[in-house]
Amino acid sequence: MDFSLSEERKMLQETVARFFENNYKDIKKRSDYLALNDGFSREIWKESADLGVISGLISPTFGGLGGTGEDFSIIFELIGKSLCIEPFLSSGILSSTILSSIKNPKTELINQIIDGELLISFAHMEMNNRYEDHFVETKAFLEDDNWKLNGSKSFVINGDSADKVIVSARIDGEINDKNGIGLFLVDNNHITRRSYNTIDGYKAAELNFDNVNAELLCKDDLALECIIKSNSAGALALSAEAVGIMQVCFDLTLDYLKTRKQFGKSIGAFQSIQHRMVDMMLEIEQVRSAVMLASSTFETNSSTRDKNVSAAKNLVGRVGKLIAEESIQLHGGIAMTWEYSVAHYAKRLIMIDHLMGDADYHRDRFKLLSSI
Amino acid sequence: MNFEYTKEEQKFRNEVREWLRETLPKSLSDKVKKYQRLSKQDYEIFMNNLSAKGWLAWHWPEEYGGTGWNAIQKHIFEEEIVKASAPRIVPFGVNMLGPVLIEFGSEEQKNYYLPRILNNEDWWAQGYSEPGAGSDLASLKTTAIDKGDHYLVNGQKTWTTLGHHADKIFCLVKTNTNVKPQLGISFLLIDMDSPGVEIKPIITLDGEHEVNEVWFTDVKVPKKNIVGKENEGWTYAKYLLTFERTGIAGVPNSKSALDHLKMVSRKSLKNGKPLIDDPIFSSEIAELEIDLLAMEIFNLRTVSAAADGKAPGMESSLLKIKGTLVRQKTTELLRKALGPQALPYLPEQFDEGWNEMPIGPEYAGPIAKQYFNMRKISIYGGSNEIQKNIVAKASFGL
Repeated sequence: MDFSLSEERKMLQETVARFFENNYKDIKKRSDYLALNDGFSREIWKESADLGVISGLISPTFGGLGGTGEDFSIIFELIGKSLCIEPFLSSGILSSTILSSIKNPKTELINQIIDGELLISFAHMEMNNRYEDHFVETKAFLEDDNWKLNGSKSFVINGDSADKVIVSARIDGEINDKNGIGLFLVDNNHITRRSYNTIDGYKAAELNFDNVNAELLCKDDLALECIIKSNSAGALALSAEAVGIMQVCFDLTLDYLKTRKQFGKSIGAFQSIQHRMVDMMLEIEQVRSAVMLASSTFETNSSTRDKNVSAAKNLVGRVGKLIAEESIQLHGGIAMTWEYSVAHYAKRLIMIDHLMGDADYHRDRFKLLSSI
Repeated sequence: MNFEYTKEEQKFRNEVREWLRETLPKSLSDKVKKYQRLSKQDYEIFMNNLSAKGWLAWHWPEEYGGTGWNAIQKHIFEEEIVKASAPRIVPFGVNMLGPVLIEFGSEEQKNYYLPRILNNEDWWAQGYSEPGAGSDLASLKTTAIDKGDHYLVNGQKTWTTLGHHADKIFCLVKTNTNVKPQLGISFLLIDMDSPGVEIKPIITLDGEHEVNEVWFTDVKVPKKNIVGKENEGWTYAKYLLTFERTGIAGVPNSKSALDHLKMVSRKSLKNGKPLIDDPIFSSEIAELEIDLLAMEIFNLRTVSAAADGKAPGMESSLLKIKGTLVRQKTTELLRKALGPQALPYLPEQFDEGWNEMPIGPEYAGPIAKQYFNMRKISIYGGSNEIQKNIVAKASFGL
């Protein structure tokens, strides 16, 4: 067993940390990026590409410099710390995972993602399929040897700004059949879409398909495998992001406890508050440990991978709620304001539980995978 | 980062497992499995075996007769002895006093006591808590008055675990009552057979005799039995407590309790079906397992960082808090899993050689009792509330 980071990984960590610190010094900057058309800054995205941050999420087999669970964790913990909103998850993790896991990997497209020149979102969620990997209602059918899609996809993160979209659609069978699903690549300008902001600051879109032309990437077992792998990669990345956010919430709260005075002393002097801070600290270490385990076993067999990712994401859901709520409560009224950063961290932390499976979903998946 | 056990670590695990298979009598591991009462001799059989193998002082430095194992090896060793259902290593001499003597004892004390601990010749007890000094340990009242060549000790200690087997007891005593409480404490080694030492059992809520009261009335203790300097005992006491706490995380014990819980939940029925198929109950098990999975890594991270030369101080408090909560949760779910089968209480079931029919399944007998017994772990070793004070003071800068 070895708990330390390799020299290479330490360097990656330092480089990425510096990059985010420079670009995300205060929460106002984030609001400015949010107000841009795409809901994020194309400049920062391009800069991060030039610096190799996106490359850090992709395996050398496909032209990247990283791509392991450990790389995901390092980068996403820093994304969490800065509350960065560039499309690292949608393009860098979810879509790249699928494009590299199919029979004939789309290396060229992956390289364009690495270079910051192409954005691809993954459209799997539907209005009523919750977090399931195989509940797919959107239909795919062949017409004169061309695949066409009909139906709609929901909550597609960065679905408005993406150049292309990977869509899960049903070729065959009932809505909840594990078999009969296909993954398709679609040009986004062929899709009717309605875009909006999510409550935690991302841009998302509802996509409508009306006989839209699509390219088949894979189907049946491989398609389901790709969806599961992509979800696990996303859940791991989000878990690591949550670790970064929790640490910032804790640090901000601790700072505030020292400065805020009531009854003639700093509120941090009260034991009831100190004990709650210890509970937070302890649970953050638990989450950090679970994420370390999930990231270091991400390249093993898929059942170990998914089991450990589910353990981490379940804990993130449970502890995330504690940290978000306690950070707001211990701050008091100031944390209710838009202006103060802790509110935005708390919102993202809570909403992470609504992406890639919540605590209940991952608890149930953990049960299945560990035969409880 | 790599959380897989290396080939050498696997090999080490096999070595420990093999040794336990060869040396641990089946009659003894059966008693441990059934939660039967262990005699003094039962503990000694196991500890003497360890001593002969050179593994009793498994976390001492090599120069003092320790094993020189790294943090991972120590973890593997702890896991294997729990898995083998060995009795616990009575910690007071080897795990608590030993490290204090190594750090603060005189050469004479080291030369005399350390080999005796290594050879398992002395059974030590811990004389910390008093009726009026629990969480506020520094307010202890037992006095040691300087009488030239000896101290005269008067007072009372309590919660003395397995003190009824002990030959010796290390005590915190007041040698100066005119200063701030922490500045007047000394660390004293006392023979239990000294005139004036009296021991009385305390029966705990599960009906068992594990802890005692120890009374000191005009007990003469030679001056050479003081460890370190007079009035500096508080420092040594705290040093010892960090050793006491790390083990309290009890990861291997919780892991084996979790396995036991799964077994019981498969056998217990609800609506005629195994309880483990009940989605609510199995969800509780799953989240407990996830907490434990995380805690095992947290524990390993902490102990291996400590081995790299960083102190485990504050983290050992965090581990103590979470470790005890997780372990208590296993006993709670076990109790719930039994339903009404948890009610019967047959104290004689835990005597060696009891061979009557149990009421309900045999595994049911100890579970409620064990649940009540385990309430102690969030209280002893510095209550969890005290641990929170320690963490807050050490790391918040408030």
